[in-house]
Amino acid sequence: MIPVCPLSQLALGEAIRVEPEGDVPIAVFRTDDDEVYAIDDTCTHQDASLADGWLEGCEIECPLHGSRFDLRTGEVDALPATRPVRTHAVRVEDDMIYVALSDEEPNLPPGVRR
Amino acid sequence: MSALESFDSYESLEAAEEAVQLADIRPIPEELRVSESLVRTLPGSAYSDPVLFAREQERIFEQMWICAVRSAEIARPGQYKTVTVGRESLVVSRNRKGEARAFFNVCRHRGATVCPTESGEARAFQCSYHAWTYDLDGRLLAAPNLTKMPDVGRDQYGLRKAHVREWLGYVWVCVASEAPSFEETVMGAVRSRLGDLDSIEHYGVEGLELGRRITYDVKANWKLIVENFMECYHCATIHPELTAVLPEFADGYAAQYFVGHGAEFGEGVEGFTVDGSAGLDRIPGVTDDQDRRYYAVTIRPNVFVNLVPDHVILHRMFPVAPDRTIVECDWLYLPEVVASGRDLSKSVELFDLVNRQDFEACELCQRATDSQAFAEGGVLVPSEHHIAEFQAWASEAVR
Repeated sequence: MIPVCPLSQLALGEAIRVEPEGDVPIAVFRTDDDEVYAIDDTCTHQDASLADGWLEGCEIECPLHGSRFDLRTGEVDALPATRPVRTHAVRVEDDMIYVALSDEEPNLPPGVRR
Repeated sequence: MSALESFDSYESLEAAEEAVQLADIRPIPEELRVSESLVRTLPGSAYSDPVLFAREQERIFEQMWICAVRSAEIARPGQYKTVTVGRESLVVSRNRKGEARAFFNVCRHRGATVCPTESGEARAFQCSYHAWTYDLDGRLLAAPNLTKMPDVGRDQYGLRKAHVREWLGYVWVCVASEAPSFEETVMGAVRSRLGDLDSIEHYGVEGLELGRRITYDVKANWKLIVENFMECYHCATIHPELTAVLPEFADGYAAQYFVGHGAEFGEGVEGFTVDGSAGLDRIPGVTDDQDRRYYAVTIRPNVFVNLVPDHVILHRMFPVAPDRTIVECDWLYLPEVVASGRDLSKSVELFDLVNRQDFEACELCQRATDSQAFAEGGVLVPSEHHIAEFQAWASEAVR
């Protein structure tokens, strides 16, 4: 488990990008319904930070080309992205957000490596 | 038309405070005087030369405050309109807090036009070329590979901002790096003409609503349009309906009245309408002194305001070529008048008619600007002598 930040520092509807040692950047979201989710931060279509995107309910829309990823499953709704992002397990303990990184291979866009 | 323009922005604030000056006692530069009665105009080329026109865009329209967009047209955050100021395209919008913002419509990456459409509503402005994406404060929000380029500052590479003010229910912009004082220039023009700012505040212009907008595509140089607005020597000839409502306009000298003077409606005229019939509800702040009178103000370089008891007419002028100017004219009424669906046509028709009469005259002048018979220009009669000051100002600005 890697510590992300205190829950109280992540406002409702906001996101934070973290760069864990040895893995790809991940984005942690706190939804308006006060759920916390973690996914890979990089859109699978082109290198863009999903943490900069538009959060609506449990979906994050890529700020560049509008593909929407489901924070619960990582699935993408429509072009131009076609592959899902990984999701990561989240735990909140004593006001601290922790993420357990997925051991699957990430779906990275062309030109982006681990 | 608008006779009572002569004192507009050329008067200093000090002069305005004296409040009783006649336009025609202003000294005319000796070199312009042709004879006792006549003063020379600009040469014909001043109205048709593309090089001079470009300099006017640069030195006048890209330096001064320009009335750009009606505030109500960008009521919500992200609602935007694109507008051309001088040679620049701007996106005028509101940030999330509702504050007016104006950005140069130029992507900071490779210079593509960010907003190609005239108006719309956006949560961010995205360039359609490489998807550089800017938030409603112009900050660079996202771009491909941006996280790999930590040296690209999101503020540093945000959309370039123009200066913005809101006044009289309009968003005013200035694209110069340093804007002139809004209070001295824009408000100063109103103060010089009306004698004080209270006089215009009585009309509560920012609280009025758009009843009608007519856009005129005028095939004439912008200076011809300003000059036309400044004098009333033509009124009796081309504006029979207007002179029926404002009989004093027929004397040709109507332009020579005192600071703060409004032309009085004629006897039996009930309202500022095409046939003198009753107008709509009087704006509550209008004083008894202002009732049954017409006031006109020029705010250089692109605004003409007309004030009558039941409505305000605001013209914005956008020069697009030496021989072409777009004029957007708004008729503004009390919100309850607009909401009631009452017939505005009699009041709109009067000034629409005046506009068409004026612009037709301007187009007749434009056609002759390249004639050898007008190469050295024409002459101004005494009731037009104050136009020489405008011409001197416009010439000085591009020198």
